[in-house]
Amino acid sequence: MPALDPTPTAISSAAAAHKASNKAGEPKDSKDAPTPPVQILASPQAQVVRHLQPALLVSLLLARFRALVADPVSALSSALPLVVAVQVTYAVVCLPAVGSQNARPAKKARPGEKRKAGPESTGPNIAVTTLVALILSAIASLALHLILVLFGAPFLTHVEHTFLCSAHLSLLGLFPLFYTRGVSSSDWHEILSASAPFDEAFGGLVGACVGAWLGAVPIPLDWDREWQKWPVTIVCGVYAGYLVGKVLGGTLAFSKRFS
Amino acid sequence: MPSRNARPKPPPTEFKAIAAEWARAKQLKELEDAVQKKPESAKADDARRAALEAHRKKAFERRCFWTIGFWGWLLCIHIIGILLFTSGFLLTRLVLDEQSKCDNPPIEPLIEWKGKGTVDGGCWHPKTFDKAVIVLVDALRYDFTVPVEEGDHAEVYHNALPFLYESSVQSPGNAFLRPFIADPPTSTLQRLKGLTTGTLPTFIDIGSSFAGTAIEEDNLLIQWRAQGKRIAHLGDDTWTALFPDYFQPNISRAYDSFNVWDLHTVDNGVLDHIFPLLKPDQAQKWDVLIGHLLGVDHAGHRYGPNHAAMTAKLQQMNGFIQNLTKEIDENTLLVVMGDHGMDSKGDHGGESDDEVEAALWMYSKKPVFGRTQPEFKTPPATAKIRPVNQIDLVPTLALLLGIPIPFNNLGRPIEEAFIGLKGSAWDVLAAASSITSAGIRRYQASYFKARGIEQSTKPGSPATLWKDAEALVQAGTKSVSWKALYNAYTAYQEETLRICKDLWASFDIPKMILGVITMAFGVVVLLLYVSRDEDEDFAVLDNAELDFAERSLELQQGSPAEPEIASYKSFSRSLAKTGLLSGAIIAALSSGLVQITGSGEWLLAAAATAIGSMLAVTGVLLRIRGIRILNLLPNTPWGWLSVVFTLSQSIGFASNSYTIWEDSISLFFLSTFGFVSAIASLQLISVRDRTLGIYHSILFVVLARVASFSKLCRDEQMPYCTSTYYASANSSTSAPWQLAIPFLVFLILPSIIKSYMQSSRSYEGIAPMWIGYVFRTGLFLAAVYWTLDAADNGDWLTSIPEKLLKTIHVSIAQLVLAVAFVAGTTAFIWAPPCVNIFTTAANSSRAQITVLGFGNAHGARYLLLPINIAAACILLSKPMGGGAIAIMLWQILSLAEIVDLNDLSAETIGPVTLALLGNFHFFKTGHQAVLASIQWDSAFIPLLTLRYPWSPLAVALNTFAGQILAVTSAPLLAMWKTSPKRRGVLESTSRALAALVAYYAVQSLATMAWAGHLRRHLMLYRVFNPRFMMAAAVLLVVDLVAIGVALLGVRTNVLAISEVFGFAD
Repeated sequence: MPALDPTPTAISSAAAAHKASNKAGEPKDSKDAPTPPVQILASPQAQVVRHLQPALLVSLLLARFRALVADPVSALSSALPLVVAVQVTYAVVCLPAVGSQNARPAKKARPGEKRKAGPESTGPNIAVTTLVALILSAIASLALHLILVLFGAPFLTHVEHTFLCSAHLSLLGLFPLFYTRGVSSSDWHEILSASAPFDEAFGGLVGACVGAWLGAVPIPLDWDREWQKWPVTIVCGVYAGYLVGKVLGGTLAFSKRFS
Repeated sequence: MPSRNARPKPPPTEFKAIAAEWARAKQLKELEDAVQKKPESAKADDARRAALEAHRKKAFERRCFWTIGFWGWLLCIHIIGILLFTSGFLLTRLVLDEQSKCDNPPIEPLIEWKGKGTVDGGCWHPKTFDKAVIVLVDALRYDFTVPVEEGDHAEVYHNALPFLYESSVQSPGNAFLRPFIADPPTSTLQRLKGLTTGTLPTFIDIGSSFAGTAIEEDNLLIQWRAQGKRIAHLGDDTWTALFPDYFQPNISRAYDSFNVWDLHTVDNGVLDHIFPLLKPDQAQKWDVLIGHLLGVDHAGHRYGPNHAAMTAKLQQMNGFIQNLTKEIDENTLLVVMGDHGMDSKGDHGGESDDEVEAALWMYSKKPVFGRTQPEFKTPPATAKIRPVNQIDLVPTLALLLGIPIPFNNLGRPIEEAFIGLKGSAWDVLAAASSITSAGIRRYQASYFKARGIEQSTKPGSPATLWKDAEALVQAGTKSVSWKALYNAYTAYQEETLRICKDLWASFDIPKMILGVITMAFGVVVLLLYVSRDEDEDFAVLDNAELDFAERSLELQQGSPAEPEIASYKSFSRSLAKTGLLSGAIIAALSSGLVQITGSGEWLLAAAATAIGSMLAVTGVLLRIRGIRILNLLPNTPWGWLSVVFTLSQSIGFASNSYTIWEDSISLFFLSTFGFVSAIASLQLISVRDRTLGIYHSILFVVLARVASFSKLCRDEQMPYCTSTYYASANSSTSAPWQLAIPFLVFLILPSIIKSYMQSSRSYEGIAPMWIGYVFRTGLFLAAVYWTLDAADNGDWLTSIPEKLLKTIHVSIAQLVLAVAFVAGTTAFIWAPPCVNIFTTAANSSRAQITVLGFGNAHGARYLLLPINIAAACILLSKPMGGGAIAIMLWQILSLAEIVDLNDLSAETIGPVTLALLGNFHFFKTGHQAVLASIQWDSAFIPLLTLRYPWSPLAVALNTFAGQILAVTSAPLLAMWKTSPKRRGVLESTSRALAALVAYYAVQSLATMAWAGHLRRHLMLYRVFNPRFMMAAAVLLVVDLVAIGVALLGVRTNVLAISEVFGFAD
């Protein structure tokens, strides 16, 4: 490996060996088979909740928008438990917890059996998985906070604003991924390098990030609107982007990848 | 150590030693190869090889010549485009040096009086007052002073300042109130120029000195001073900037004008100090007293006019003016006026009605003012009725106080002041008007002469109007004709003013459009040049076997006759030849045409030349090279990213907000690049590459964020921005803690560069000496310089005489610049490659030659050039800016690593990010896209007095440090980690440079187009125009540096590398 760095190089006719081959053309079939996208559970409840969740999030944002503009910190912090509830319900009902796909491949498909499934399952403990995913999301929101600061968010002032904003981003974008993918390093390598297949969770993350990026666009305008204040536009961008990304990721773009 | 710095040349022996060692090692190896292969005539081979080398060297130098030719052609295109647009857009006015003289009136006065031609009696007109108190209430809009019936749409700012209106209604002989129309731009500084000189402001007044804001042309204050009047000033410090050393030192008090949040300091200062000066004992100390209050303006900026604070401020002014009228004596004139109005949000700068409509009120204790018609006793209800121009104040004040009218005046006397108490003194008014008109006529004659323009003599022109008035004077002096005479003079003055406004305030739209077209076409040519098909040219660049085959082919042919092997070799030649040739032909034709027709439209000839030669070059690019228009669209995510960066910023320049906040937006884009590159690095296969890629990406972003703490806010960013560049908002010196920065740079920066070079084993050759000692010493001296500078400013070292201290630190600065530029350039030209060649004794039968730093031979050696430039820039920037430049250099190195690791050297994203980085650090070195942020004092870092061309050069290096360093480093992105076997180095660096220049060209095109489109926008002079000027200046600087530093540097570098390793192509 180190040989590809242009360190001591012997001069023979083939001396000018270069690293081109190792780079851009990077073969996709590296070590193991590509990770499959995460399917939504097939139960009718899952289908209902799957569509209910975006509606709930949108109505929450719309209902609290005035409060968000008036006092972002209190609005964001008071909305946090609600968002947690919505996301946890969505995850538990709609998404297969990490490990469940290996444990019981297609059993959930049967509609009548659902009630028994929970306690009996030899698969993952839903409660523990949820809790761990929540804790991981909380930790990740610290990292997101840092990233927001790197993009130019205030460093010393508005700490609560920025942190709450990143907490929401983390809950929407990262929590479903922690829930479905756990801490598998290969999965996360794929997710972070943007080469994971699109599903609702990954699509949501990409959408939320793009939304947050675009959310910064109106801030500098001199319209003197209350809603231009930090971090209202970012939060709105995150929600809008998350919903769009989730819907697209679950439907049109499902199992596709960034080439 | 200094002795080592000063040594101009590194030992040539070192260079030779490496070359010799390389040759010996090579020979050794060939010998062994020869033993294994068939024995050939080694000598003949050597001769052929030498011939081939010479041939290749010559070919390379020719390619350099044509590449530079192409860039020179491009520079001409850019110059023509900018000139075309500027000539239609940036209106300029010549500043004449002539001054009016008391005993030399422009025409013999029409009336006689006692003491004619003396200051005591009145120079050009009988004097009315001995003294004057001039109170300027900043942003006093006319409708603030007009009472409105309660409930009848009365706003909170109405009825708060009724005194002006009431007094002129109640005692019209003592006071009058009229709307007072400002000429845009309605910023205080420009207004003060108009109010004291009587001319119309243009964006650039071409004067004789290149720095400073002091008014040079004839004005009221010059005249007062010349006639021995003493001037006292209280309030806004803009006056002291415009009129340095004019004011009586003990009684004048200037206050900072930029703290918009402070409504009271300036006003209270004026209020506290003005009344004592009006007391009889103090009143002997001054003849003219100027008070400039800012409270109303600041209340407008902070709250807008519709706020209780505004009411309170206006009420305070009301009481203040009332008290003033009680305190002044009979021989003193009191003038209260606004310099501009304010818009509905309380801001100003543009030319909307609310902004230009100010109020003028004059008061005298003895009744002297009259009205030409009885109904004029009531002041106008709105500013649309009977307004006077602000420049009219100039002749009025001058004649009332008995001084000559300033030479450049275009205003006319205000009738109330001369018509007499009864409103019948038409002779006096006509005399005042006559002398003013003659002054205007004299000024116009001088101006047109200086500009070399003929004055029109058509019917209705000022010349014929003047003749009409003269005819009346000749006719007779009966009382009836005085009024007619006054009207004739007024007609002359109005027409002259109209012509001057046309001359100085209208845009030449066809020229502007032509300029935009030229620039746009230039951008297209650049993009075509950048997007030429990479595959066909450079696909086999580093293929050693092909090289070997080609070499032996060329060897066998003996002296190869220009083989058409690789098209890239003749690419720039055909471009440059086409461009220059067609340009020359069209230039000759069109200038011949201009000569024959005598139209004098040289710029149009230039435009034809530029566009014609660009058509030819585009033809070459499209047809001969087979480049399709489709190539312009990016085909990779990276390409799209650079399009997003460039395009979104260009669109953003249409909005004043995005232009104002460009510094934060640049950070946002730089962070975006960093995160995208971190994601891309995660896709790399090799763990080592992946880790390095992520590390450098994160480092790049973090460094940008750290640099972003250095801020210099522009006015428009207030109050959401805190300046950190200087010690405080109203100083231009550094805080003591900032002195730590240059020392940190001195300690850390060389080690950082060393670490980047060591990663490719390139910290060899001259590098340890130059970077470890010379560069470090330079940085240390720069730090010492700034410490001494701070000591000088803060009077820390009182024991050393100031002059000696100045000499010492100027010498230090000169030493650093000499090391960076003179010794640095010499070293760069003569330095051997940063490699270390040694032969390991073979443990097998073969000898092994090891070249440390072989893989980065091009990049490592070229790096010395940006380092030298950075050293000079660090010295010429303030400590905070020096830190920013050091960070920038670090970021550039990380960027080069990112580009190398992700294999992006063929992409445009590297140069585009670099260009963005250059702009970002323009802001981080204490600049903004406003003229006021130019750090003129940097001219005095290396010099004690102004010296051309060095002083402007120092200012340019200070101002454009970021962009200059970016251009100089652009070749680094194409050359970092490339070995001497790399082919087409010149072409790929020229391509990287073109991508970088394309970014700046797009920016100047966008700002140009938007400024032209928004030429009636309120913020034109404050936001769009300065940004355009910055972009145009940056583009030209970048072009020049690309040619003069970067391309020549690449040439030198390739020659030096190939001298040792042989030419790769």
